[in-house]
Amino acid sequence: MKSIKPSRTNIIWHRRLGLSVFLVLIFLAISGIALNHSPALKLSKTNLSNNWLLSWYGLEKPAINGFKLQDKWLYQNGNNQLFLDGQSVAPCSAPLRSGVGNAQSIFALCANALVMLTENGALLETFSQLDGLPANVQAVAAVEDSLYLLTDSAVLGFDPDSLAVTATAKTPAALSESLTVMAAVPESLTEQLDETGPSISLETVILDLHSGRFFGQFGVLFVDIIGLLVCILSITGLWAWLSRLRQINQ
Amino acid sequence: MFNSAYNRIFFVGLLATTLLASPLLSAKGVYQSGPDFFAEVFTPHKPQSKVLWMTADIRQQAEKILDRPVVGLRVRYHQLDGKTAWILEEIGKEMPITIGVVINQHKIAKVKILAYRESRGGEVRYPAYMAQYEGAVLTDQRKLDKSIDGITGATLSVWAVNKVAALALYYHGLVNPVESTNGQSK
Repeated sequence: MKSIKPSRTNIIWHRRLGLSVFLVLIFLAISGIALNHSPALKLSKTNLSNNWLLSWYGLEKPAINGFKLQDKWLYQNGNNQLFLDGQSVAPCSAPLRSGVGNAQSIFALCANALVMLTENGALLETFSQLDGLPANVQAVAAVEDSLYLLTDSAVLGFDPDSLAVTATAKTPAALSESLTVMAAVPESLTEQLDETGPSISLETVILDLHSGRFFGQFGVLFVDIIGLLVCILSITGLWAWLSRLRQINQ
Repeated sequence: MFNSAYNRIFFVGLLATTLLASPLLSAKGVYQSGPDFFAEVFTPHKPQSKVLWMTADIRQQAEKILDRPVVGLRVRYHQLDGKTAWILEEIGKEMPITIGVVINQHKIAKVKILAYRESRGGEVRYPAYMAQYEGAVLTDQRKLDKSIDGITGATLSVWAVNKVAALALYYHGLVNPVESTNGQSK
């Protein structure tokens, strides 16, 4: 039987490929291990707010707008947290769409939930879309003792005690004057938000570096090419090993 | 010898394919809304929507069961006669799992995963697994009296469901006190 030697070209290319990808492979291995143990390393809870990094991700310090309810400001920090006059009161997914208060309670309409607070900002309850909050609610309004949820085309009555949502004959235009208008939050309050402003988790950065997304589409393409090179490296390595195995057998 | 080498390569390849495909089997999703869950549980009747106010003592006990701080001044539940239904949330590994629990006569009648947000461990939602909780009651140590089988790869989700089931039994006991033999509630 004819002996099959690993071709010199195969070995040369195996060596070249190995040398060209080994640094990237080591980085991918270390970042992969780190991501695999993300909860233990608390990567998702380590937030980075470096200006250069935020700018690279297209994040800017947002203009903080909110709703003035009598003598208190209700606003969101851009990081999924609801504030009432400098006090963090409840989780609230961005954007904060609407805010309203009556004698006993304060209501904040976040992206997918209505957050109900006492007049002092203690969290009463959260009424989410899973609990039955209609998905298309755009605003919440208070008229005397009644609360209303406004969609694009309808006004729904809302009972904060039973969480019942009922149809009404009112139109959104009729309640437009009852809505609290969004306005810029005073600087004295926004200055306190600097520490809780936008940030990026270390997990996101490592994941984006690992996948190449950190450097945009070219980064992804680069990692794809590295992946292909690793496949070729495996094949050339396997071919060399099999050829050697056959030689030993003969 | 060649056969052996090729077999090894085949099985390594098969293992790698399985591992790579596993994220595609993610169980993330909302399976049932709260109103639909209550309608299913109480049909054809309409239950009353009620709230349990969190006193300092209740909060302390709830925090002991969940082993974490509890926020919110009130907890909503639905009741019809001696049957209550609760929708509670607990973190599995990193994301909250929304769990519906039905208690009848101080025993668990049903546990159902309404929304699962973790990328892995969604096997806890299978009805065959959830059936284990049926009939469980709360012990004096505020734990379930039944041993619940674990699921490999979903340990934290199983623990979350166990905690929520115990919490719902505790809450149920507060709104439906057990009558003692002399007619007093305890």
